[in-house]
This record gives sequence, structure tokens and C-alpha cells, in this order.
Amino acid sequence: MADNLPSEFDVIVIGTGLPESIIAAACSRSGLRVLHVDSRNYYGGNWASFSFSGILSWLKEYQENSDIVNESPTWQEQILENEEAIALSRKDKTIQHVEVFCYASQDLHEDVEEAGALQKNHASVISGNPTEAAHSAYQPSEDESLCTVSCEMPTEQTPSSDQETALEINDVEVTGEKEKRYDDKTHAKSASEEETSENVPIAEDTVLQPKKNRITYSQIIKEGRRFNIDLVSKLLYSRGLLIDLLIKSNVSRYAEFKNITRILAFREGRVEQVPCSRADVFNSKQLTMVEKRMLMKFLTFCMEYEKHPDEYKAYEEITFSEYLKTQKLTPNLQYFVLHSIAMTSETASNTVDGLKATKNFLHCLGRYGNTPFLFPLYGQGELPQCFCRMCAVFGGIYCLRHSVQCLVVDKESRKCKAIIDQFGQRIISKHFLVEDSYFSENTCSHVQYRQISRSVLITDRSVLKTDSDQQISILTVPGEEPGTFAVRVIELCPSTMTCMKGTYLVHLTCTSSKTAREDLEPVVQKLFTPYTETEIENEEVEKPRLLWALYFNMRDSSDISRNSYNDLPSNVYVCSGPDCGLGNDNAVKQAERLFQLICPNEDFCPPPPNPEDIIIDGDSLQSETSEFSVIPEANSETPKESTSLGNPEETSQ
Amino acid sequence: MAKAYDHLFKLLLIGDSGVGKTCLIIRFAEDSFNNTYISTIGIDFKIRTVDVEGKKIKLQVWDTAGQERFKTITTAYYRGAMGIILVYDITDEKSFENIQNWMKSIKENASAGVERLLLGNKCDMEAKRKVQKEQAVKLAREHGIRFFETSAKSSTNVDEAFSSLARDILLKSGGRRSGNSHKPPGTDLKACDKKNTSKCSLG
Repeated sequence: MADNLPSEFDVIVIGTGLPESIIAAACSRSGLRVLHVDSRNYYGGNWASFSFSGILSWLKEYQENSDIVNESPTWQEQILENEEAIALSRKDKTIQHVEVFCYASQDLHEDVEEAGALQKNHASVISGNPTEAAHSAYQPSEDESLCTVSCEMPTEQTPSSDQETALEINDVEVTGEKEKRYDDKTHAKSASEEETSENVPIAEDTVLQPKKNRITYSQIIKEGRRFNIDLVSKLLYSRGLLIDLLIKSNVSRYAEFKNITRILAFREGRVEQVPCSRADVFNSKQLTMVEKRMLMKFLTFCMEYEKHPDEYKAYEEITFSEYLKTQKLTPNLQYFVLHSIAMTSETASNTVDGLKATKNFLHCLGRYGNTPFLFPLYGQGELPQCFCRMCAVFGGIYCLRHSVQCLVVDKESRKCKAIIDQFGQRIISKHFLVEDSYFSENTCSHVQYRQISRSVLITDRSVLKTDSDQQISILTVPGEEPGTFAVRVIELCPSTMTCMKGTYLVHLTCTSSKTAREDLEPVVQKLFTPYTETEIENEEVEKPRLLWALYFNMRDSSDISRNSYNDLPSNVYVCSGPDCGLGNDNAVKQAERLFQLICPNEDFCPPPPNPEDIIIDGDSLQSETSEFSVIPEANSETPKESTSLGNPEETSQ
Repeated sequence: MAKAYDHLFKLLLIGDSGVGKTCLIIRFAEDSFNNTYISTIGIDFKIRTVDVEGKKIKLQVWDTAGQERFKTITTAYYRGAMGIILVYDITDEKSFENIQNWMKSIKENASAGVERLLLGNKCDMEAKRKVQKEQAVKLAREHGIRFFETSAKSSTNVDEAFSSLARDILLKSGGRRSGNSHKPPGTDLKACDKKNTSKCSLG
């Protein structure tokens, strides 16, 4: 570390997930001295996004995590007689059951590297000893039958089966040779020309492979920078708390957004588009005239259901799905409203919850587009970083790859007074925000965590083809049996800047009942088909083909009462990791609640004061963005809904 | 409302702490200089509109917000940047050596077609010079980018540096709509790079 840290702050924030980053920004904005640290070498914790090589390093790091013994100066001798220490955890235990499958054919070309990737952070890990580590943990052997080629690391270029290679041979040769040629060039020429060579294959790929669209694993590696793979899959409700906060605080200027273009449903083995806006309903080809009228009437009622209590009061005790049956709706429409608009299940919600969810959905329609949702370009992982920048602009100090060994507690006052970091430096502060995963088992021994099942897929086409290949879709697949949870599927196209041209990035999420693969694979199999099977059957396959798949379980530490943690001093606050929900309201509510504990009566993230820094000309931001992206209007008069919606839970202190 | 400019370019400054990035921005945008060390509080970006080749170019110049100090610049910082100014301090050898690391960061995080520019700042402090101009000229040539020695304090070459970067971006974009710099056709890029290797203006 080139520079020493100051030894005193007002607030120390440990973890750079979304809630922590919002709080850091809010505190810094209110004039507090903020130190924001993360033990990882990237921003966002479990809210991060990674390039393709980045996610492979993440997998590997997670895997090696268990063996890390950090040689740090011992903190024990620094603890004085009138002090106690709360040791923090050195291991991240929030990710489990990681499984990776590669279906894309791997050509024989060796040493394929991500173009332009000079892994500043992961460099040591990658160049370490890849083959040795790659063989173990997250490759379950019994899964070999599921995929023809299982691969763990990009460095291990397993030759694919003969049959496959034979079918692929033309493409492979062309690509392989081309890559080789460019590789030679890059070595010989200057850095600026390297950039040229990096760009050329992309342009040529589209020319050379106009229809076949066969993406090989080495192409994925080579174009790895184009991927921004989110660990959590969420969207922003266009009238949700996060959008309001982004606009109010002007943090929106650091990010760009795109509208989700369509809502999909999966019924009777088919994917279809759900009409939700008035225009959609009228233009829908799958609905009859009678259905259109029924749906419009019902949705209009939902918009202001509170004004008509007589219409639903009698049904308050039953589930929303039972209630829908009492309404004049065909089974088709009931399904759409229940799963795709209210996004609930047969058993999960009662009538009022369902009506509330439907109203919220409709309320968000039309603010920025035809669906209620926005997605941040380059992935969800941008958002914590945007708040971190805001914090830094107001003087917050940032340290990544910086772990904290323990919290120091004063025995008498029972307050935390300092941290001791990995270098043995003692840093004093008044308030301490700690993300759940940093606590040791001693602190969390009574905490019951839920789990989130996640899957990330790279596919070769959309689950529902239309004229435009740049669709961003959300699809809810109801749980099949009682006790299983609905699976949320979000499909991102390359224009979201999260995947390479010719591919789609698909995120699946549900509350866990088993391991991620057990929970999600049935849905994956319904919607997609492994790349190689179609190679044998040849042509005319309706389903998108899987090129690559990742499964993992993530700890859901949201909604855990502070009292569940053992012996926390009153000035140590717990931030949770990501929750399973679709929106980000949970993170914003949590951040605002904790901020109010630290700074009672202070405004939460008010707009920056310097008027000359603010672009008053609305055009200026627009012209910078690409045509279809959306920037929430800065300085708009948005009501501070957060206060009315905020539902501070009981916290001790 | 008619636009008051023809193009809007997003520029970034990067380089080690204390090389004068914020001072350069303030000199460029406000034509002022503060001799005391300004920690980068509250400066997000500054705006100035310049005339280049008969076009009004609005430059939005972003500062690191101090996040370079512990090498924690967010990947989000680089998004959408069309020009990046790498700054070192001619009286600080380490800051010059680190330019290579900043080059790597750009390569890893910024879009491939981004224009770069190298600045050796504090050239008013000739007596304390540690980095010879020739070293920087060589480095700039290796990367095929322009180089200036500047002084935010004495206002030497600051306007020239920003304007030349704006001109390079303008020429590269070929007058096309701004914001498309992520995906220029391969041919465009090649032509530009050839031209780049021959140009290294000396301050």
C-alpha cells in the first residue's frame, strides 16, 4: 500500500454491496468522514458483475477461499485490558454448490485469451497453477453425462469429441486461423494496433457467420470482456425506491439504463408474450376481443382498487389466485395476471397482496417505456459502484483488497471504538457498518439463513424470437409442485452490454429448496437445449441452445433481525447481502433506515449542492447516450415515497 | 431547444495521486489555479465548450474523485469515455513509471476505440525535473498517442492539450453522431491508428 490510511473516521463501512454503498454515499454526502473497505479485489460483493474471465476467476477464488491462511500481524496483542475484540471472518461462506457446464464446442486452438484482458486484479490467480486447481471441487463427476464437454477453466482447452469437431470443422478452422494471425500481429506491433486487432474479429465474425451463429468456447473467451455477468439478477421498478433515489441524489448521471422490452409467460410448453399495457392488450393477437375487454376492465379496476373496497373485501381471506377465479377472467387471463403481472404464485399471496402487486406493476408502466422495468447497462454491478463514486466525490476513502481482522469494543461502554485492519493498523471510528458475510460463525451462530438458487446461462438465441433481436425479457415460470418456488428468468441481449454479439445472457433465480442445479435445471431443460444435442439431431431446433451454464447458491441474509447476531455493540450495524426479490427496494429501505440511525434528522442523499456541476441542459446527457437507452430525468420533482414506504423494522437501538 | 454545441465528448483524467489532475481540470474549465493541495472533494466533472474545426465541442471532463489513491477506480468510471488523459508529474519518477499500469487499466476497462493522451504536468518546476521529455516522447510513440508537457499552475499547454484530444476524437468519429465510439468499424480504426503513430506533438 503506497499510502497510509488516516487513523480516524466517523463511519467505517465494511463491504461494498448495494446497501453499504448507498449508506456510504449518504454519510459522505452529509459531511461524515467515511472509510469504505472491501476484502475482495472488486466492488459490489455479491452484487458484483464480472467479465467472462472475471467470473472464472471468481469461481476459482471461491474455490481456493477455503484454503487461504492469511499471514497477518496478530491483533490479539493490540487489545488492551479494558477492551474486547469481535473477530471478523476471513472466509466468504455465502456461495455454495457451484457447478459449471460448458456446451459450446471447444476448438483445438490453444492459448486463447480474452482480448485486451490484462487481469490486474486476478493476474496472480490466473497465472498461478491453473490445471492443478481446475480439477477439483465444482466439477461433479456424475454430471459428465449431461454435457459432452465439461470445462472448468479457460486455460484447459479440452479437445472436443471427434464427431462434434467434424461437424464444426469449417468454422473452427476459419476462426482458429484468424485468431492465430491476429495473435502474431499483436506480439509484433504496438499497443494501439493491438486494439485494432481486437476489434477486427468482431466485425468479421458477423460477416463470416451470418446464419449459422455457431459460437465456440474460444470465441466466448476471446470476447470475454463483452460479458458483464451479474451475481444477482434484479431489475429496477421504474417507480421503485432505487430509481427515485438515483434521481434525487443525481447518482443517475453515472449510469445508463434500458427498458425491459417485454414480459413473457411460459404456458403449456410454450413461451408467449404477455400483454400488459393498454397498447399491448389492444394489439395482442393471442387474446380474443372478449378477453381484451375483460383484461382492460380488470386492470383498470386494479389501478384504483382501494377506492372500491366492496369489490374485493369479501375475498380478503382467500388467495389471489382464488380471487381471480371469481372475477370475469378466462383461465388464460388469470394465468397472465397471477404469474406475469402480480408475479406471485397460487399459494403465496392473498387477495390484497395480489391487488397491491398488480397495481404497483401498472403504476410503473409507461414512465420510461412499455414495461415497468429498467436494467442498468453493463449490469447490476454498476449500481453499487455509482454510489461509491458519489461517496468518493464527497471525500470518502476507498480500499479494496483490504480486510478487517476485528472490531475493538470498549468493555465499559459496550461500544465499538475501532477496527484493526490486515496490516495491524488500528482505525478509530464512531459508527461501524458491517455486511453480514464479514461476521464470523461466533457472531452468526443463531442466525438462520435462507438461500437463493441462481443460474447463469449463455445461449445462442432468444427464448421467443421476434423481428428485433435486441429484446430484454422477463419470464416467470411457476413452481411445478407445491413447496417449490417460481423461477424468475431474465434474458439480456447484447445491447445491454452484458454479453457478446450473437449470444444472450440468461439469469434464473428462485428461493432455494435444494441446490441451485436441482432447483433450476428442470426449468433450464424446458426452455433450452444443450448445444451438442442439436448438433446430432441437426437443424430445425426451436429452443435456444445452451453454450455455457453456471449454477450456484447464494446466502440470503435479508430480513434477519439484528437480535439474531450475538453480542453486537449498539454502534455496529448489520447490512444484508442481496435478497431474492426482483426489485431493489429492500436495499434502499435498509440503507435509509441505517442512515437515519447514524444521522438522525439528516436528509438522505440530497442532490449535490454545486449548481455549476449539474448539467441543466437536459439534452446534453441524452446526446451522450445511445438511442434507446433511458436516463431518468435529473432533478425531477419526485415525491419522497421512501419515507411513506419505509417500514423500519424493530431494531435494538 | 436548439443545442448550444455540435458534439458532447466525455473525457477522463487518470494518473497517480498528486500529479495535478484536478488542477488541470480546474485550469481548463475555470482558468484558475489553487496552489494549496486540493483533495478532490466535491469535483465530479467540469464542463467547457471549445471550438474545434468549426464545431462547438462540449467537453465533459471527469475527475477520479480521489479513487486512484488506493487503486480503487470503479469500472463504471471508464464507461462511455471517448478520450482519456493520462497524467504524470515530471518531478515524480514513480508517477511516470505507473503510466504503464494506467495504460493497462484503460485497456481492461475502457472501450477499445478510446483516444488517449499523455501529459507530463508541473513543467513549470524545471529545477525539480526527474522525468526527461525524451522518455515520455518515447513512451507516447510506443503507444501511438500524443504527448504534451503542461503546467496547470502557469497555464502552459493546458488548452492545447484538451483541444488536441477533442480534435482527435472528432476526426476519429468522422463527424458522426457522438457516443458511437464503442463500435467504430474496423477500417476506421486502422486508418486512425496509422495516423497516430506519426504524431507526437511536443510541448
